Amino acid sequence: MAVSWVERVASFLRSPSRFLASTTAEVFLVELLREQRDERVTYDVKLTMLSPLCEHPTLLCPSACTGEETCLELMSVFSHCPPKYTEFRCQLLLTLTTVLVSTGCVSAHSHASRDFLELLLKLAQDTYYDPADVPSALRSTRAAACECLRELEACCPSLLSQHLELLNGLRQQENPRHHQALSGLYAVVLRNGVHLLARQAGAGPEGLKALLGGNAAVAWEAEPDSPALTDRAAPLPSVLGPSGLGPTLQTGPDCKELRSVLSSLLEESYLLTPLSQAALLHALTEVVAMVSGVSPAIFKAQLLRLLGTSKVCLFHCTLLMKAAFTDSLFSAEDEAFLLKRLVALCQHPQMSTAAQLFYTDCLVHFPENRPIGAADGGEALPVLLTPRLAASLVPTVFDEPATMLARLNVSALVHLEEHGAREGGAAGGGLAYLWEHLLLRLHVVEHGGDRAAVVTFFRASFLFLCHFGHVERHAADLRRRLCALYLRHCRLAPHVLNLADRAQDGPVRPGWAVALLRSLQGAAVSAGGDLAAVSQKDLHWHLRVLARVAEEGQIGQGSAVDFLFAVATAASPPSRNEDWRLGSDLLAVCRHLLAHPGLDALLCPLADVLQHVARHHGDTDVRDHARLYYSLLTALSREKLAGVLANGGGGANGGRQDNKRALSAMVVESQDLTSALTIHKARTPVFHLVAKDRAGGWAEPTPAPEDDEAAAAGTDPGAPDADVLSSYRSQLLSSGAAAEIALSYELRHLDVGPAGFDRLFSLRLHFEPSAGRFAALADVCVPRLFREGASAAPPAVTLTLRPRAPYPGTLRCSAVFTAQDELTWHAALPDVHVAFRQLFKPLPVPASWGPALRLRAFERLWDEFCSGGDGGSVGEGGGGDASPDRASSLFCGRLGEAELEALLEEHFAPFRVADPGDATGHRVLLFIPPGSHVLLRIRPQEDAVQFHMATDNWRLLPHVNDFLLSVTDWEARNGVDS
Amino acid sequence: MSIRALWIITHEKGEHVSVRFSRRFPTVEYRAKSLAGSSYQAVPEDSAVLQLLLTELGLADPGKPYVAQRDDCLNQQRTPALELHVDSSAKGILWPVLVISRGPLILACLPLVEAGEPRPPLSSLLSVSQGLTLLEGLQSFLGGSEIKTDGDGLAPRLALMPSVLQQVCPLGTPLDVPQARAPSTAGVPAAAGSPRQPAWRTGQHRGRPAVNVALTETVRCMQYGDPSKQDLWDVYGTVTCKCDVEGVLPNVTVTLTLPPNGSPLQDILAHPCVTSLDSSILNASSVDDGDGSAFSGPYKFPFCPPLEPFKLCSYTSQVPVPPILGSYQLKQQQEVNHLRVSVNLKLHESVKNTFEYCEARLPFFNRVQMSTVDVKVSSGHLDVNKEKNLLVWVLGQKFPKSREVTMEGGIRFSGQLPGPVDPLCTDLTAYIKLYFKVPDLTLSGCSVDQHSVQVYSCAKPKIVTCRELQSKEYFIWNSTGPAPVSSGQMIL
Repeated sequence: MAVSWVERVASFLRSPSRFLASTTAEVFLVELLREQRDERVTYDVKLTMLSPLCEHPTLLCPSACTGEETCLELMSVFSHCPPKYTEFRCQLLLTLTTVLVSTGCVSAHSHASRDFLELLLKLAQDTYYDPADVPSALRSTRAAACECLRELEACCPSLLSQHLELLNGLRQQENPRHHQALSGLYAVVLRNGVHLLARQAGAGPEGLKALLGGNAAVAWEAEPDSPALTDRAAPLPSVLGPSGLGPTLQTGPDCKELRSVLSSLLEESYLLTPLSQAALLHALTEVVAMVSGVSPAIFKAQLLRLLGTSKVCLFHCTLLMKAAFTDSLFSAEDEAFLLKRLVALCQHPQMSTAAQLFYTDCLVHFPENRPIGAADGGEALPVLLTPRLAASLVPTVFDEPATMLARLNVSALVHLEEHGAREGGAAGGGLAYLWEHLLLRLHVVEHGGDRAAVVTFFRASFLFLCHFGHVERHAADLRRRLCALYLRHCRLAPHVLNLADRAQDGPVRPGWAVALLRSLQGAAVSAGGDLAAVSQKDLHWHLRVLARVAEEGQIGQGSAVDFLFAVATAASPPSRNEDWRLGSDLLAVCRHLLAHPGLDALLCPLADVLQHVARHHGDTDVRDHARLYYSLLTALSREKLAGVLANGGGGANGGRQDNKRALSAMVVESQDLTSALTIHKARTPVFHLVAKDRAGGWAEPTPAPEDDEAAAAGTDPGAPDADVLSSYRSQLLSSGAAAEIALSYELRHLDVGPAGFDRLFSLRLHFEPSAGRFAALADVCVPRLFREGASAAPPAVTLTLRPRAPYPGTLRCSAVFTAQDELTWHAALPDVHVAFRQLFKPLPVPASWGPALRLRAFERLWDEFCSGGDGGSVGEGGGGDASPDRASSLFCGRLGEAELEALLEEHFAPFRVADPGDATGHRVLLFIPPGSHVLLRIRPQEDAVQFHMATDNWRLLPHVNDFLLSVTDWEARNGVDS
Repeated sequence: MSIRALWIITHEKGEHVSVRFSRRFPTVEYRAKSLAGSSYQAVPEDSAVLQLLLTELGLADPGKPYVAQRDDCLNQQRTPALELHVDSSAKGILWPVLVISRGPLILACLPLVEAGEPRPPLSSLLSVSQGLTLLEGLQSFLGGSEIKTDGDGLAPRLALMPSVLQQVCPLGTPLDVPQARAPSTAGVPAAAGSPRQPAWRTGQHRGRPAVNVALTETVRCMQYGDPSKQDLWDVYGTVTCKCDVEGVLPNVTVTLTLPPNGSPLQDILAHPCVTSLDSSILNASSVDDGDGSAFSGPYKFPFCPPLEPFKLCSYTSQVPVPPILGSYQLKQQQEVNHLRVSVNLKLHESVKNTFEYCEARLPFFNRVQMSTVDVKVSSGHLDVNKEKNLLVWVLGQKFPKSREVTMEGGIRFSGQLPGPVDPLCTDLTAYIKLYFKVPDLTLSGCSVDQHSVQVYSCAKPKIVTCRELQSKEYFIWNSTGPAPVSSGQMIL
């Protein structure tokens, strides 16, 4: 049983989530607590079983309520545990603290926390001390209790601030064994108390006095509403931040009590372990920094001891004091001394590597009394750090990578200034040394240095470039050497490319990375001279390099395409032609070339490469992809191609890095690519066509073609009537324009439409006329359509219809377009209805026909339609047959004179045929494509208007009737008489 | 000033990696959450932490030549604190994860950052130096540099970790570092009413009083035999004490003295048990030219000793000459695999000619095995190692009366097997490395006189002092080939 519990606990600690997958936290907690009460279980096992609660309390006690109950249970376990099991009792106290804090139970309303605090204070005061306690127990229960109190105070500041005097008394008691725990506790309570006091507006010396003298009763029941327990404060941040000091408490010079407490703590600080000493000194530094009345000189007596220490934490404490107090504690001489000391520690042979690194970091963040730069917490070199001092910090080839980088950084900072001071002239010895060092690292890499050496060299190179990228001779030299390195060791390609990427993104002088990539391109392409001699692996790297270079728009890609062609068509070795990996590498380059801005110049050679691969490569997958690329290259517009490549390649969040990690850099047939190439269906209409004019679109008057003969005829008013009609009919047959009507629309978004379609591009509108009414229409292209304010004019669309029959009809509309998500969409538009009136056209005669000729044509047609016998239908091209379609009719409307004029002006103006001799009658001639006519003679009578109609197509009469009804609707009360 | 979690990991060159011990401190985590606000990142489970750590340390995927996350040149690991990217978002970062790694052991901890955004500099966080101190203490507790993962040493020590942490870091705030040996056997607790006892002296010594003071100096050297390159050497010393003296707060003073013309001790570091230091002791520094008022002792260190052995102080010193001056010349003969070797070593007059051991090692890298070694030495004897790529010239306990020894001859390399590879030592870049130890000698002349050790206690203790000189990284480079220069002195 016991063993199994030890194993179970170990299994829980290894992976709580996996453990709790097989049971529940609730069950496990119940089991753990039950075992704690089981007397048969040994205390060693019980101790182990506290670990889950001690390390993952919030997993086992997800709520404050469970936390509270668990604590009550554990306290009862504590009360029943014999004092001789010190280690278990200590661990129990620590566990209780952990659970209480983590589950947020520390409050006055929690019985558990009140009882526990009371217990801890009792233990700390030794009143609970059992004489049977084994004296050799190293960390007694009492010290553990103090530690628990300290942690509670750290998590819930000011919890104990009312007990400062009590704690001070305990601290000063003549018991030597616990002064470290009590000093630490006292310092934290004091620091939190002062911090909270300093935050209060108007707090002064009285507040401080009250704080120091605070001595509330131990029993918490006495004051359950203690502010400390009711308003639980959040843990307090350090007041010694880089952003300046925290709040200060104005106390005036009279802080005798505080000063004496601080002095006594400092005097005994020597007796504490270095770690506790550092924590104490730090807390006291914070207190002094917050209380204006205490001079930092109080620390003076400790300084020499701290400056000479070999312990990192103690020396660090000194640096933090320096940051907090600057010249009020450290004179300029002290500062110089401290800096010298720090430099010596950075490379002291007795210091561990980690400590040296930490000190080196402290050096570039040295708290100067008079800082000049980098107030933002960035790296800056202390002014006093001369090249002479820093000479001991130069990197050497024997340094570990981290040490080398840290020293390279410091040395670069030092010599950057030196170099700057010389205004780029003769380089200082420092830069030359660092350059030599870099070359030495390069030498190691060239001669088979291991992976760590390679990585370190490239990191060092990047660092060098960050600092000295502007020194052209070194930057150019490094570029050359990297290229040579690459040619000798192609396997280093990912490192070189990574350096290029970082140099491009980072603070290195712009252009360096592009120049490097250009050189790499040259290096890779140069291998094309003798491809058979290039190993498969090297070829793979060359292609990887070219793929990266192809991302650079500024670099010409002609040579790369030639290289690709050479690789694709190389005959030997034949196995290469079967190699999927090589094929995919090759296509990866092509893929980047497809997105290259200089694609136009590469189009033919690239198409050749792709075609060759698509036909001749041995691998089906590669062939398919090549074919896909070929299709993309030849079929898609640049923009679309870019969109497809962007979506299909790396994925939405994939940067360059992600692309590289993919097994194949080919366009993967992913959801993205598929959707990029698919036309998506919009479920609801997005936009519609709106007729441009108010009446629903008169046909634009189509100017008839100039016809010289007809024009000549027009100038001759004396021509016989029969000639007028035949001349009219002959020109009607020869000119196709008469059969077309042009309708103007605007393309507008629907007021309520689906989201994501506010900006549309490359719209192609397609129309399906209703059966038999119109000839097929050509598609209409609209470059863009934005849903924007009224400021932008909506795009105009003119539809040219060729009616097949003179009746109204409907056009079914749809559109294909690109939305702002770069996907292509198909959407239906609301149908466009072509009304009868929209078919009206004036008599299609040459413009040169004067009014007289038009009038004559009208009269001749009228006579012909009303005669009912001779003459043929105009639409049928004339001839001698009597047409049964001719008809005449009469429509009466109740209209006044003025109303009639308005109606004529509004609806018939373009179609009127004027007769100067007839002042009372109005003639209107409607031509309705393809070849029908409706003639109206409108005569006002006493209280009505008569519309005499004549037509060569009686089937039009109902439509004419409807039209006239609609336009005279408000006047026409009378019925229709025909 | 606290840590959120602690991990102990073992590995064998990146393989067989496992978390051998871990500990989380939920109360510190509670503080971290409250202080960090929206930038808070919880600590993931051990397996995830392990993977992230290995990636940052460059140990993940040892078989792969390049892994973007691992080998990115942007990861400039220049501090002991790593960033672990728990998820891809900018906020999912655990920082600063302190790591110290030695041999098969990796120790890591995550100190609490007592500030919100923006991230404060590492140097402003006391928890960082505390974390480092704790990790170094744990490292030496777990076996220092001689750790073997499978060995008997580590497992029992790891088993002690829970109770060790209960003492030194019960709730995430480090209070002390664990003592390498169980102190309870040595000390008995002080009685109540006695003067304050230091927290680091956990009892009193009972038994025969004795004070041991050992002074060890180490010399490092780079000799090039090239007038254009300055030879370099430095010396550092350590004073180790073991004081078995009675009393709650016993007082001992150790005094280091220099000969009349000795150059001053520099960069002195003292153990925290030293009660006071004179400012003149601390003034001399190796990093500047030093002022005229150089103090040259005596160096007094009053202290109250802990029960266990400890390093009382350490220093560096600049001595005028290296103890052994050497020259090394390799010449390529006409045959490709034939080298002519010529070595001369000269012991300086001031150095006592009594060695505990002294040998010179001549490794040959990037070549095949040696086939014929036709080399004569004027003193001592020559060994060739089993792999036939290293000459060991054993000089024994004494140089001859002339204080000068030579080695001359030719070596042919035509063995079957390739020897070890070193990317630095290509072609004629080669070195001799000297290993020696001289008892009762310091180069700086520094000594601890037995009579100068003062102990203020009732019983007069037995006082033993000793000193010795040893070499470390003592290189003599072949002067006919290029040699790596490694000192900032070249700049000046």
